[in-house]
Amino acid sequence: MRGRQLEELKMALESITDKKARSFLTMLGILIGVGAVLILVTVVTGMNADMEAYYEKLGVNKVYVTVTQYDRTNTLDITDDLMGYVASDMSNIAVGVTPDIEQSGTLRYGGNTNDSAVIYFGNEQWADCNNYTLEDGRDLSELDMDNRSMVCVIGAYVAESLFGYIDPIGETITYNGYPLTVVGVYYAKDGTAEESMDDAIVVPYTLNRSILSTAIITDFTIKVETSDDMEEAMSRIESWLSENLDSNTSEYTVENGNDEMNASEDETTSLSLILGGVACISLLVGGIGIMNIMLVTVTERAREIGIKKAIGAQRRVIVTQFLVEAAVLSGLGGLIGIAIGYGGSLLIGKAMYDLILVPDTMYVVASAIFSIVIGIAFGLYPAVKASGLQPVDALRAD
Amino acid sequence: MLIEIHDLRKIYAEGEENEVRALDGVDLSIDYGEFVAIVGTSGSGKSTMMNILGCLDVPTYGEYLLDGIPVKERTERELAEIRSVKIGFIFQGYNLIPSLNVWQNVALPMLYQRVPLAERQQRAMDALAQVDIAQKAESRPTQLSGGQQQRVAIARAIATRSPIIMADEPTGALDSKTGAQVLGILRSLNAQGTAVILITHDNGIAAKAKRIVRLIDGKIVSDQPNVPDEARALNENM
Repeated sequence: MRGRQLEELKMALESITDKKARSFLTMLGILIGVGAVLILVTVVTGMNADMEAYYEKLGVNKVYVTVTQYDRTNTLDITDDLMGYVASDMSNIAVGVTPDIEQSGTLRYGGNTNDSAVIYFGNEQWADCNNYTLEDGRDLSELDMDNRSMVCVIGAYVAESLFGYIDPIGETITYNGYPLTVVGVYYAKDGTAEESMDDAIVVPYTLNRSILSTAIITDFTIKVETSDDMEEAMSRIESWLSENLDSNTSEYTVENGNDEMNASEDETTSLSLILGGVACISLLVGGIGIMNIMLVTVTERAREIGIKKAIGAQRRVIVTQFLVEAAVLSGLGGLIGIAIGYGGSLLIGKAMYDLILVPDTMYVVASAIFSIVIGIAFGLYPAVKASGLQPVDALRAD
Repeated sequence: MLIEIHDLRKIYAEGEENEVRALDGVDLSIDYGEFVAIVGTSGSGKSTMMNILGCLDVPTYGEYLLDGIPVKERTERELAEIRSVKIGFIFQGYNLIPSLNVWQNVALPMLYQRVPLAERQQRAMDALAQVDIAQKAESRPTQLSGGQQQRVAIARAIATRSPIIMADEPTGALDSKTGAQVLGILRSLNAQGTAVILITHDNGIAAKAKRIVRLIDGKIVSDQPNVPDEARALNENM
């Protein structure tokens, strides 16, 4: 039995290689379909992974609070009260709270400068809230806040760009001319590249008056335990803000840091759905192409079918012959499509995300099976038609 | 009786203006081991007759018993089985499959009988040797002359060791010398016990058979044993 199936496969292959150009053109639909599906799936998966990694580094479950006060002569600093509220009343759902003001400027140490770094004004919880981990030295402390210490903790790229192989701890850098003593260095978390998250330093927020010449802190980040607690945390902060701010002279916004991530996830999901639909249509068209060419083949080979039936071939044999041929044809198309999917994924992954993207094995196996199934599904009608030919009619065909 | 047909009719477009009665009430019996020629001009119904006898076509009316069993009652599956086991076909156009080589062509019917590959090849080679063309076993049919192709077709018909050989104008496309060789092979097959049914329009070829059935317009007009000319001459001289 196995030998016979092998022979059927061999005959199908021979009849396909007999007409190379035609077989290739027939495969093209399946080939493009499978190739496109694999590339799309891989690229979208890569995009998602890329994005997830980004948000993972950035830190998830953050609530951003921005306060704007119009009455400049009579401003109210809510910093201590807000931090106190989060620390005491929200301790069950919040990990921490920190002022979070971003500035740019020039950092200098010796002859080295760094113009690209972001300078954050935060408190001792800033690192926890923003996903930084201390590598060396110490983090900011409450005492630094109280004393308005001229200190900073620097990111890995700042350390590399300013100090090279020198140990930065205890050294003094300048930020726009203000001397700051480096007390700690954070682990690299974003590739230690210019303009990455490692290109950053944090200083005590209480330096705002001397360095920024602002009286109050306007931006805060609150890190929440889990994404399920986000709604709850936001509504509690909003009600606290509405109670503690004069609505006549001030405004506030409370933003869900996960919104952006969710939005881009939704975007890629709908993108992959649309592209997947297009790919399915291409596969369908490919299948119809196979059916079409198999019908032509049946007509062309009517005489052969007649001979085979005359010398004793059962219907099953004829059906199998044409089904195997259709399945081999589309399976081969699928195989080439998979190869193109691999190549395309690698190429696009490299060009667009600088990632080595390859199709997931599950998708590869699925598309191989799927392309064979398409061949069988669309080959069925021509095969049954072939097997139904009366031997005498088939023999009469030229 | 090997073959028995009663009042067999094959009518195309029955009841319409262009109605054709290819076979119009034929009765015929053929026994095991006979060598029968069915002779007629083109349009006499002889090819229709062979197609029906060979289970390639079905009659419109009438009865056909093969080995005593009505063919009408056979399923399509059983008919394929009969064609495979009982009947070996030889066609005027050889009807070899061009994509297969010579021995694969000969072995093909045995593939349908699920004969194992080694035995299939052995029997194919034996049959090819029997018709003296074994040296071309690996060639493609298109590389052979007409006579050689017909011998391959004969090998295919005899390799299954079926009790009936049906030959439709087997020499029609051959020159007289190779035609004579083919007829010689058929005679020796018959001598070994195979029933041979030879369809032809040529009286000279029909004369090689032991019994001649003449068809005109779908009816049998004569059915008699073939008496060789020499015997007839002897008879007249007495």
